[in-house]
Amino acid sequence: MIKPNRVMILAKKELKDAFSSPLIYVLSGLFSMMMGWLFFNYLLQSSQMTTTTMTQGVITPIFGNINFIFIFLCPLITMRSFAEEKKQHTLDLLLRSELSELEIILGKLLSNVCLVLFMLSLTSLFPIILSLSGYSDWGVVGSSYTGIILSIIAYTTVGLFCSSLTDNQIVASLITFCILLGSMLLVISVNATNNYLLALMIQYLTIPFHYEGFTRGVIKSYSLIYFLSYYAFFILLTLKSLQRRKW
Amino acid sequence: MELAIKIENLSKDYPGRHALTNVSFSVKKGSIHGFLGPNGAGKSTTMKIISGLIPASSGNFEIFGKVGFLPEHPPVYPNMNVRDYLKFILAIYSSEKSLPAAGTLERVMEKTGLSDVKDRLIGNLSKGYQQRVGIAQAIIHSPEIIILDEPTVGLDPVAIAEIRALILELKKDHTILFSSHQLHDVELLCSDITLINHGEIVVSGKLEEILSSLKTNMSSKARVLNFNEQKSQEMLATFSPDLESISYEADPEQKNYLVSMVTKGKKDLRTELTKFLAHFEIGLLEFITERGDLEDLFKRMEK
Repeated sequence: MIKPNRVMILAKKELKDAFSSPLIYVLSGLFSMMMGWLFFNYLLQSSQMTTTTMTQGVITPIFGNINFIFIFLCPLITMRSFAEEKKQHTLDLLLRSELSELEIILGKLLSNVCLVLFMLSLTSLFPIILSLSGYSDWGVVGSSYTGIILSIIAYTTVGLFCSSLTDNQIVASLITFCILLGSMLLVISVNATNNYLLALMIQYLTIPFHYEGFTRGVIKSYSLIYFLSYYAFFILLTLKSLQRRKW
Repeated sequence: MELAIKIENLSKDYPGRHALTNVSFSVKKGSIHGFLGPNGAGKSTTMKIISGLIPASSGNFEIFGKVGFLPEHPPVYPNMNVRDYLKFILAIYSSEKSLPAAGTLERVMEKTGLSDVKDRLIGNLSKGYQQRVGIAQAIIHSPEIIILDEPTVGLDPVAIAEIRALILELKKDHTILFSSHQLHDVELLCSDITLINHGEIVVSGKLEEILSSLKTNMSSKARVLNFNEQKSQEMLATFSPDLESISYEADPEQKNYLVSMVTKGKKDLRTELTKFLAHFEIGLLEFITERGDLEDLFKRMEK
């Protein structure tokens, strides 16, 4: 039985901890600098292209970039979650408490998701700037944001799992990064095979394939199912990893 | 006698290693129970099992009441201040059934002497204070039983004395099981002790009984100015049959003699021996009684 208020207690503590350390500010600064730069470039380019719309020229590529950059940033945010607790010997403190293992994982997930959403919220400036020049295709912006949020929650669950494997933060972030980038590269290699059926199957298992629909303004029900099962799978793995001490 | 903890035939195997073999002992309610053993003897493992952190491979244990646990390393978040930390612990350790009484936080901080540092970051506190935070964390949900894993390790003598006083203070409301290498602590604090070595219980029972069973022979050493065979014979004659043996050797560096005496039985001969040695022909400089105590026991266990 999951008690939301207990999950909140942990999530609040984690958030307070994260916002009192410099890491999140450094990452946010870096992220908004990179995104601002890219946005500016796309904007300049789009003024010279007469055949493409603002959506095709700016919104779609910028969201593609946000997604790609979060593959690098998410591991850095989630690496602390369990690895640091283990290093500080505080994980046992949580495990002995009234919190269940699942509540601990959900609390950590919630706080990490809040952190990445905080970083993502910095990009909300772009649609506002576009709207000043008369841009009005809010459907695509909305579905792109939905897609990006679903993807980064997926990255966060992977990061949580990897963090629970080790007490070394660097190792945790590297494993997360390898899993995320690996699944992205899978799409490329699958495109090179001649086996159409296999390609379809593997494609379905990768995040970019599902994310791509969202950037075009298409929300497919099977993509939602895919993301939900993705979260469940990695939360289950994290749970098993926490229960490892009982083996 | 009411018990607080009862452990029966507890065993724990880690892959390729027996950590505990048939460990059985019990802790009386309201007592301070010392848990002693060399490093790697299985103290921490036993404590982790009792506190419910890891499962035992076999055997069982009963705990009569809630348990507060201070592991070897105080489980503190260095980026939090003392007050927020304890508030967080109180929140995650109290269930809906047993909500904490109002003012618990202040009372615990008062008790553990943390009121003055409640707004400071835990990471900036001294090790002694961090240990206090660790103890506060263990008692905040008012458990009946407190388990402390080496609470005095790595602290300076003043901090050790303070922690010791705190443990005595806690005895009023709690049963305490604590492990230590500091034999001195154990002698001062505990009424009962359990000794463990290589994962097996060596002895368990009342401290006095265990100590008196050890004190069969007492050995003393004296540093004197002059000593010779004649004096040695004279001493043996004077104190027989209580003095078992006597030996001496010259110390050319310090230009004096070191006399070793072993007394038989439980009779305390120290006053008589010193009186004899204080004679002007001998000239007593120093008199040391080898402590026939836990230190002895530890050394014997190592053999």
